[in-house]
Amino acid sequence: MKSVTIAFLVWTPVGVWAQTGQDLADGKATFRSNCAFCHGLVGGGGRGPALNLGRFLHGSTDDDIKSVITRGVPGTTMPAFEFEADELKNLIVYVRTLSATANKREEGSLQGDPSSGRKVYERSGCGGCHRIGTEGSVYGPELTRIGAGRSTEYIRESIVNPSADVPQEYAGVTVVTRDGKHITGVRINEDTFSVQIRDMSQSFQMFQKNEVQQVISETKSLMPTYSSLSPSDLQNLIAYLDTLRGDMNAGAGVKKEKGIR
Amino acid sequence: MKRAIWIGLALSSLLCAQNVSYDRLVHALDEQQNWLTYWGDYSAVRYRTLKQINVSNVKDLRVEWIYQTGQAGSFETVPLVVDGVMYLTGPNGYAYALDARSGRQLWLYKHAFPPGRKGDGVNRGLAILGDQLFMVTPDANVVSLDARTGRLIWQTEMAPYTKGQYTATLAPIVIRDKVIVGISGAEFGIRGFIDAYDTHTGARAWRFWTVPSKDEPGGDTWLGDSWTRGGGSTWMTGTYDPQLNTLYWGVGNPGPDLDGNVRRGDNLYTCSLVALDPDSGHLKWYFQFSPHDTHDWDAAETPMLLDLNWKGRDRKLVVQANRNAFFYVLDRETGEFLMGKPFARQNWATELDAKGRPILMKNQEPSPDGSRVCPGLAGGTNFMAPSYNPETKLFYFAVREQCDVFYTNPPVYIQGRPYWGSVSRGVTEEQEWGLLKALDPLTGESKWDFRYFHAPWAGTLSTAGGLVFAGDQDGYVMAFDANTGKNLWRLNTGNALVNSPMTYMVKGRQYVTMPSGSAVLTFALPE
Repeated sequence: MKSVTIAFLVWTPVGVWAQTGQDLADGKATFRSNCAFCHGLVGGGGRGPALNLGRFLHGSTDDDIKSVITRGVPGTTMPAFEFEADELKNLIVYVRTLSATANKREEGSLQGDPSSGRKVYERSGCGGCHRIGTEGSVYGPELTRIGAGRSTEYIRESIVNPSADVPQEYAGVTVVTRDGKHITGVRINEDTFSVQIRDMSQSFQMFQKNEVQQVISETKSLMPTYSSLSPSDLQNLIAYLDTLRGDMNAGAGVKKEKGIR
Repeated sequence: MKRAIWIGLALSSLLCAQNVSYDRLVHALDEQQNWLTYWGDYSAVRYRTLKQINVSNVKDLRVEWIYQTGQAGSFETVPLVVDGVMYLTGPNGYAYALDARSGRQLWLYKHAFPPGRKGDGVNRGLAILGDQLFMVTPDANVVSLDARTGRLIWQTEMAPYTKGQYTATLAPIVIRDKVIVGISGAEFGIRGFIDAYDTHTGARAWRFWTVPSKDEPGGDTWLGDSWTRGGGSTWMTGTYDPQLNTLYWGVGNPGPDLDGNVRRGDNLYTCSLVALDPDSGHLKWYFQFSPHDTHDWDAAETPMLLDLNWKGRDRKLVVQANRNAFFYVLDRETGEFLMGKPFARQNWATELDAKGRPILMKNQEPSPDGSRVCPGLAGGTNFMAPSYNPETKLFYFAVREQCDVFYTNPPVYIQGRPYWGSVSRGVTEEQEWGLLKALDPLTGESKWDFRYFHAPWAGTLSTAGGLVFAGDQDGYVMAFDANTGKNLWRLNTGNALVNSPMTYMVKGRQYVTMPSGSAVLTFALPE
């Protein structure tokens, strides 16, 4: 039986395990119920980075991948998972099979000129809400390592249809005060009796709910839709964002918009 | 003269010692100043006639004392209070006795975990009889302590410790000379049971298996040998009717939790209420809320005993707001189904038939790619206690409005490992919320709701002060007008609340206690 199942073996840089079809099926099942939620059913990415590119952001050895799974990635939404040793082993083998399938589409979407994309970023005023390295605003999600943390498909969708997936930590809230003023911002915290938001000027606004008229949970993203970008501008912008892999100086030179601290 | 001194000593020792007789437990509601069982009494109404704290002055309620246990972990205990002494458990095998007026410690007990055993886990509280306290431990022991000193009297292992498969978390219940407990571990392929132990010796008196063997009645509701690891935890305390001499116990989910293929059939007595003879452990009747459950909707929620006029006739009822999001009314003498109505969003049953069996909707089964089902895995409500106020005639409980995506993953049984058949995930684009719900148990209709921002894990307490005390997931302990649902008082305790408030009186002063984080918080009006 082993000889048949050797056919299931995938290329592994370090360590070769004798995998059975059952092991791979187990790895797949574990992936679908634990990982697919963020990384997509076939690893194409989503909230989490694509896992089908044959390269992994935090190292590609089995130990590297194991470490990411068991410890999580601090500062990101990747949590630590507790798996038994054999579950983890099967999961890693399954994750490696993903890169065999979907490389082409991913490469296609990477065509574009990052330096032109950077100009699109400046021109469109993205820094008015987003931060790259030390430049820009903390109102919206930080983009310093967006290329490492998100698939290009996810980035594209976030630009042309931001409401498709709004991370909970950037959900919008509008508070209607007793004198009728509407104050919109990102929900920093909310409970039964109070709400704390960050407004576009990056200031905290804090309210007791019994002192205001209404607290509205925005169902749409606070980010405007940039569907009017030309196809080439969009492609270049995605290519630029995809280059952002955590360099704190990556934003240096991005034009400082008025009001950006 | 000698005799007089001797009698004097005997009297004083009588006053110091607790001497909580079985008769006192039966009549626990006659001692409104005390809280003698986990539920406050055998029926679990969690209503007190104390009204020093009431709708007009509750706004002045403030923290009287705080006791810090220093123990990390979910603090799910409900304390007992006996004549000015508070007894409670903490997580990780701890028990404490405190001066209920000052919060000063009288003794502390730490369960000795043998080497190699998992020494952490939640605990929900104690039972008392005479001078003996009873608790269970994370390594599935029943422990009896001397209420005067906190010293160990006896200790009995409920089930062999095998890689932490069997655990125990509940507060025991004492009936006459037996301490009755349940077991946890349905997520690890156990076969559940309810046990009774002799309060004097710690010897096991009887065991009721919540999953029958193949040759027993109900054994044919399990495919093959799946009954041997069929789950059916009994992780919450039962209730008891002394007149009918019947013990009522909610049974947990079948295992593996989310993949039912390996255990086709109704899977008795999981997700059921069982009515037992407490002297023998024999089954009197059962009612299964969720046959062949695949959503972890166990029936561990409080089986509250109420005597109400049901459609023109005084009847002995047992009511339960079940995790499957239906509120049930049964006749507690016969187990007859009288009513079942949804109290929260649900998309798994079109209705209940005349006998209370759910008629299932399509697409509610967990699947490899996930199925969105309401309520979620944690249920429309859960272990947090409800309360019933006989003046307003309303049932007050915490509702969780939250849905999940349920996945299957073919289960493989390996001893000591989770045996779930996969997981559930919250639906990210859907915001959860919670309710404090005031429900008419005769109709299943809501009188009022108070909305919480997050789905709660804390229960309720009702008092003759016209109040309902409750807690939410953001750490607020709150008091509400029982008639209108108006929030009258709140305090942010700084930690998610995972238990239920209780009240007591010492030397003419009423207190309310709610554990939060690793602290016991006790509130009172300014003197």
